[in-house]
Amino acid sequence: MDLLIWPDWPLALGALFPVAIALVLTALVGEAGGRFGLPRVSGYALAGLVLGPLVLGWFDINDLAGHRLVIDFTIALVLFELGIRLDVRWLAANRWVVATSTGEIALTFALTFGALWAAGTGAGVALAVAAIAVGTSPVILMHVTNELRASGQTTDRLLALCALNVAVSVILLKLLVGALHGVHSGWQLALLHPLYLLLGSALAGAVIAAAYLGLRRLVDPATEQGLVAMIALLLAAIALLSALRLPTALAPLFAGALIKWRDRRPHLWPQQFGSFGGVLVIVAFMLAGAAVTAGELFAGAGIGLLAILARAAGKLGGAMAFGPPSGLDLRKSLALGVGLMPLSVLALLQAVDVRLLYPEFGSRLMPIVIAMTVVLGLLGPIATRRALIRVRETRRGETS
Amino acid sequence: MSLENFASSRALSLGVELELQLVSTHDYDLVSSAEDLLRVMASKDVPGEVKPEMTCSMIEVSTGICNDYASVAAELEALRAALTDAARKLNIGICGGGTHAFQDWSERRIFDKPRFHYLSDLYGYLAKQFTVFGQHVHIGCPGPDAALYLLHGMSRYIPHLIALSASSPYVQGKDTGFQSARLNSVFAFPLSGRAPFVETWQDFEAYFRKMSDTGVVQSMKDFYWDIRPKPEYGTIEVRVMDTPLTVGRAAAIAAYIQSIARYLMIERPIRLAEDDYLVYTFNRFQACRFGFAGTYVHPETHEHCTIAEEIEASFARIEQHAIELGCDGALGELLRQVREGRNDAAWLRERHTGGESLPELVMNQCARWMGGEAM
Repeated sequence: MDLLIWPDWPLALGALFPVAIALVLTALVGEAGGRFGLPRVSGYALAGLVLGPLVLGWFDINDLAGHRLVIDFTIALVLFELGIRLDVRWLAANRWVVATSTGEIALTFALTFGALWAAGTGAGVALAVAAIAVGTSPVILMHVTNELRASGQTTDRLLALCALNVAVSVILLKLLVGALHGVHSGWQLALLHPLYLLLGSALAGAVIAAAYLGLRRLVDPATEQGLVAMIALLLAAIALLSALRLPTALAPLFAGALIKWRDRRPHLWPQQFGSFGGVLVIVAFMLAGAAVTAGELFAGAGIGLLAILARAAGKLGGAMAFGPPSGLDLRKSLALGVGLMPLSVLALLQAVDVRLLYPEFGSRLMPIVIAMTVVLGLLGPIATRRALIRVRETRRGETS
Repeated sequence: MSLENFASSRALSLGVELELQLVSTHDYDLVSSAEDLLRVMASKDVPGEVKPEMTCSMIEVSTGICNDYASVAAELEALRAALTDAARKLNIGICGGGTHAFQDWSERRIFDKPRFHYLSDLYGYLAKQFTVFGQHVHIGCPGPDAALYLLHGMSRYIPHLIALSASSPYVQGKDTGFQSARLNSVFAFPLSGRAPFVETWQDFEAYFRKMSDTGVVQSMKDFYWDIRPKPEYGTIEVRVMDTPLTVGRAAAIAAYIQSIARYLMIERPIRLAEDDYLVYTFNRFQACRFGFAGTYVHPETHEHCTIAEEIEASFARIEQHAIELGCDGALGELLRQVREGRNDAAWLRERHTGGESLPELVMNQCARWMGGEAM
């Protein structure tokens, strides 16, 4: 009798089974949060923390590295969509929006750096945390605004500022960390590297945009073929960007903005794209928890909280100072500052990447960023949601 | 509550109100930006007024009191330019059209003002469904009795005005088959339709008193009639038009109404009768449904013709008055379009049936209105 036709006992389920269970649990926690009026992403973030080394230990940092492509792809997809919502013409027509962005970035950077430096973290770590603090979680912002079908002045500015924050944060961190570690020894490199990062990403963005517009002529984005073509395009882009040592976040963002600039037509995400993106977001949060360990979380808690406070003061201060001349009232300016709070997967990955290159420096940076992203990944979405409901810019749920 | 006295106004003076759509430049759905736009507009020096409307995705602009087509056109143009400038600053689109092609009424928000909340509480979902966009034209009357004569005389021209201004074929993302679907929303209100047939202000006051005693109405604002007297302005207000896609067309339609009013006031060509209204709702429906191609039944002779033929005949009747008022050029352009069967509803349908998606259609509506295109 051939025993191979019968199942082994105990059943050999392989690695897929726990992943499936984890995925369902993450989705269910998000759904449960939704029932209580919380943003689903807060639930996903919580589930990721519980599944990771912090509580259950189903996933660890190796899983994060192994599935890195999934998270990179998710972020690229979200940033591409965010880029499409960034209308360069508007920034030209209303310079105060650019001023708001510049103001809140400068203030956030200065206050975070100042607070950490005063707390004795050392200038290097303070600079790196400040660069990460400038960012705002694009995944959370897009998810919360889509969940509420938010639309209006605050929402538009939130998304525009988020796009600019991501771009500035990614570039700043690369430059600062590079400078700190003597990568730019000699003025030629100090000049060439930032140029390469910017121009390379812009060029790659232009190629993605041209390919997308070309594809749009051939296939309707709303069809299955369109979806496949879009996924293939972004996968190819990530492969290319990685090979070129360019950040995977910038080019999709530039591409989106270029598409909106070149082709003013509404570029609306087809239904199935939204569902597909939704699944990816759940996976990304499930895996992101794998980077959080109890030891690091507690080690970074004090300084992390200080950075959160400094960052909040910077974002709120910038939004309150420049919001009104850009066309917002004080209530909406405040909501804009509050809405910019979320910080999550992308920030975590920025720190993870620094640690890969510079293990010693990275291990000092990581606990602080972990503490920040745990708090702002859980509470940030709630802040954004409340802010948007408060200024009555939601088209789903709490309308009156 | 009694009716206020009929104020004096200059005969044939004009005032135009336009309800406008505010849309997001991302998805071209309606967006709640009225409050923000009004705040930016408050610092601008423009003729007339810019006011909130029932829901947060609409505003109403109005000219001051004008004498003729030229001043209406100039004031609307100044308002358009200022609004466009403000909209660009706020990254929103502004467009004409009687309905938004694909909005979901349940997503609308009531503008935060006591009267709008009162109406919302009273009418329930009808208030949100009332996110439709019309053009209203006020005509100054020499006295209250003349106003009532003008009101009933103008009622014969309701189909003409509907067909000329029709711009609402799409509702909730679907083609309604109507050229003006907006008026179907207005009809849902209990006090819509036509004014009662009374010929003197004394009788009208008596009617209002009776209605007021029933507790059903408190002021003239509670009537949503196609044409209603506005005693505080000393005008009658014609309310059946969809907001056209361009301010040029809105000004031309106002000029047409002014010319008809002059013809009615000076020539007194009609002997009014209650029976004129026998065909009123039929004619009105035909205009909403088929536009220029609808059937027009003459209220006195009961002859049938197309609305386009009747409009052309009306142009012949009022031509001299249009020349006197200095708007024959604008009316000539309107007539040319009637002969070609062109109106805004046709423009919208051509584009969408030609493969343009509804969000793109709304984007092009914004380009037409904000770009100040000719009618």
